[in-house]
Amino acid sequence: MSEHIVSSYEGQLKTLHSTVLKMGALCENQFSNSIIALVKKDEELVDKVIGKDERIDELEKKIDDQVVNLITLRQPMAIDLRETVSAMRIAAELERIGDLAKNIAKRVKHVKVDLNNGNFSLIKSASDLVQGNLKKTLDSYSKNDEKLALSVWSSDKEVDVIINKLLEDLLNHMKNEKKNIESLTHLLFIAKNIERIGDHSTNICEYVHFLIKGEDIKGDRPKG
Amino acid sequence: MNSKEKEILLKKRYSAEKRFRFFGISSIILALSFLCILLVNIFTNGLSAFSRTEILLKINFNEKKIGINSSSTDKEIRQANFDEILQEALLSLAPNAPELKQAELIDLVSIEATSEIKKFFLKNKSVLNKTAEVALTLSDDLDQVHKGNFPRNIPEDRRRFSDFQLKIYDEQNAKNKIISEFNWPFIFNADSREPEIAGVGASLMGSFFTLIVCLLLSFPLGILAAIYLEEFAPKNKITEIIEVNVNNLAAVPSIVFGLLGLGIFLNYFYLPRSTPLVGGLVLALMTLPRIIIPCRAALKAVPPSIREGALALGASKVQTVMHNVVPLAMPGTLSGTIIGLSQALGETAPLLLIGMVAFINVVPSSPFDPSAVLPVQVYLWSESAERGFVEKTSATIIILIFFLAFMNSFAIYLRNKFEKKWS
Amino acid sequence: MKNEKIKISTKNLNVFYGAKQALFDVNLELEEKKVTALIGPSGCGKSTYIRCLNRMNDVIDICKVEGSIKIDGQEINKKDVDVNLLREKVGMVFQKPNPFPKSIYDNIAYGPRIHGLADNKDDLDKIVESSLKKAALWEEVKDRLNQPGTGLSGGQQQRLCIARTISINPEVILMDEPCSALDPIATAKIEELIDELKKTYTIVIVTHSMSQAARVSQNTGFFHLGKILEFNLTEKIFKNPDNKLTQDYITGRFG
Repeated sequence: MSEHIVSSYEGQLKTLHSTVLKMGALCENQFSNSIIALVKKDEELVDKVIGKDERIDELEKKIDDQVVNLITLRQPMAIDLRETVSAMRIAAELERIGDLAKNIAKRVKHVKVDLNNGNFSLIKSASDLVQGNLKKTLDSYSKNDEKLALSVWSSDKEVDVIINKLLEDLLNHMKNEKKNIESLTHLLFIAKNIERIGDHSTNICEYVHFLIKGEDIKGDRPKG
Repeated sequence: MNSKEKEILLKKRYSAEKRFRFFGISSIILALSFLCILLVNIFTNGLSAFSRTEILLKINFNEKKIGINSSSTDKEIRQANFDEILQEALLSLAPNAPELKQAELIDLVSIEATSEIKKFFLKNKSVLNKTAEVALTLSDDLDQVHKGNFPRNIPEDRRRFSDFQLKIYDEQNAKNKIISEFNWPFIFNADSREPEIAGVGASLMGSFFTLIVCLLLSFPLGILAAIYLEEFAPKNKITEIIEVNVNNLAAVPSIVFGLLGLGIFLNYFYLPRSTPLVGGLVLALMTLPRIIIPCRAALKAVPPSIREGALALGASKVQTVMHNVVPLAMPGTLSGTIIGLSQALGETAPLLLIGMVAFINVVPSSPFDPSAVLPVQVYLWSESAERGFVEKTSATIIILIFFLAFMNSFAIYLRNKFEKKWS
Repeated sequence: MKNEKIKISTKNLNVFYGAKQALFDVNLELEEKKVTALIGPSGCGKSTYIRCLNRMNDVIDICKVEGSIKIDGQEINKKDVDVNLLREKVGMVFQKPNPFPKSIYDNIAYGPRIHGLADNKDDLDKIVESSLKKAALWEEVKDRLNQPGTGLSGGQQQRLCIARTISINPEVILMDEPCSALDPIATAKIEELIDELKKTYTIVIVTHSMSQAARVSQNTGFFHLGKILEFNLTEKIFKNPDNKLTQDYITGRFG
């Protein structure tokens, strides 16, 4: 797309876009670190994740300010308006993702079971899948690729399937290993958090689609 | 360019501007001084024409000598003979004068004196058989002496009045019998061979009628022509030719129009010679382009947004032009018209050719009576030998100037009225 | 678009200024009692277009208008149409306010007078009052109706011109950049007026201001180099236009 005649306007839109991407990268990091901390029981990493969440909140505030400024001062139209509005919505979803990652990290010290054995491999698979989706989502925003966004949106079903299996698994464990009930409860919450991170990614995909196509994705979200 | 060079350049500019201003102001001062000299000359020469000198003469209205009685009608009085009592009164000024000099005594007063006495008597019939002092116009030569226009030290054979007449004049003057009055007859009388009773009345009316005829013809025709050329004429070769011709007509020497008038109006249409009718026709031809050109310029100056606004309301072309454009063009048009008419007022050459140079001794009462115009009157009088006409020539110019000033002020008044209304 | 009544429709409209073509095959249908905005870069033909709708292009000698222009289904681009009656039906407001050099009263009364819309002075007074009221100018000028129209402020003059246009009871009002010479408050008053007027009249407005088009119109058409590139609901044009050039223009990526 050709550039704005007023280059400072173009600059503002570009800055907004890169701030969102920065926030997205940070969230991706937080999520993956929280899972690593969970598996390795790394307390230092846990503290790092919890500390970093403040930065995510700062970035969301910054994006909100940039958005309000753009609307006030530039009165954006058409695609510029969709860019501006979408940035605000995506930032809100990313902030939730950041919170959920922080929540996972907080629960690490309460999970006393070893997750490296085969019994808890599903957690790793689920988190890998969701991490992959989040990365693809952010790629689709970065590259303006609505097909990619659409594909992630459609694959939310798979996440639901794997999460359901994981929950079932954990419930079985809870029935059989009464001594680990505290850990397992926390693992239950962690599994739900992972599912919700997936949902938020799917929301971001919808916003990316609206941004690029100018209309909502048709049809209901496929559910597993 | 460094600052030194810039400074020099700046100085050059300033000095050039100073020189320009100096030249401008000097030319204005020069022009104004010429104007002042001219006006002072005219006024000093002409103002004296506005006063007439009269002698207060005691006249005995003896009814037997006049040939009327107390029951005579006005008609009979007008036909009566007042010469005798006039002569009697004049001769009594120098009772012992020899016969040769008696003729000179009669010449002391103007030839109008008899009718002046008659007029006096008609207004004051009660003086019948009594003696009354009547003011009678002095002859033109003594009139000039009284005004100081005639040097007294010229030898007798080189003047038109004698030493004897001068002596009588001095005597009467010492007795305060010589008075100066405002010269109303100068304004109302027609021309005459005798300077003391000659007036501009005829030429004033002549100019007035001529201008009226000129105005009535050239103003509507000029404006309508300008409106047509500017608003309605299609932009083709014919219109271009007309435009070029109109512009060129404004530069044609006015005497050519006189020739045109002579050839067509007088020799072909047999219109009455020497009349304001023909004079007005000739001047109208001359003034027409001088009205068309400023009117067109004024129409051009009206912004097209006015026309569009009217057209968009559904007004026809004619309505748009007449209701909306022409009123806005009026101030400029009027200025042009008055300038054209002022020029027409001062035209002499074309009117000479159509005969308005005759000696007119009756004030015209319509545009069909022969007459002269003010500039022609100036020309005629400036050719006369009598001393008395010198001041009258300048006085006519003064009247002409006032006439022009009045017309211009009227134009300015009209302009302001129109502009205030529309601004 | 919804199936509303069409007031004005142009088909294969081509306009030439001498040898230069200004409009190419313009096909548009403008709905009744709606505000249609025409936007586009300078010289793209928007003013030429609306001047076709009341045959104002007839005034320009070298201008040739070909194609069909129908108002209420009646063809107006043909020789035997009475142009003055057409202009009674289709009024126009210009970019620069152009009140006549007459009093405020006479400005409004001129149109009804020449079209014979009033039988007597009372009728005329009523028309003047109602036109000024509809143009939201009555309160400001009712005490000085015989003062010159040119003595008003810019915004008031433009409302005077609008009142003058309304005085002859048109059905369509064409506006050629009516607010471009006015300050923001005056502009807002005119926009409010347009909102009111659209209940009674069909309005077509040419504007350089995208935000004005977005604010006042229900339908918008984008002109580019003499062609109409896109014509749709205003919401659609400004949220998600179909044509890339339209988007580039309204976002300021090309002028």
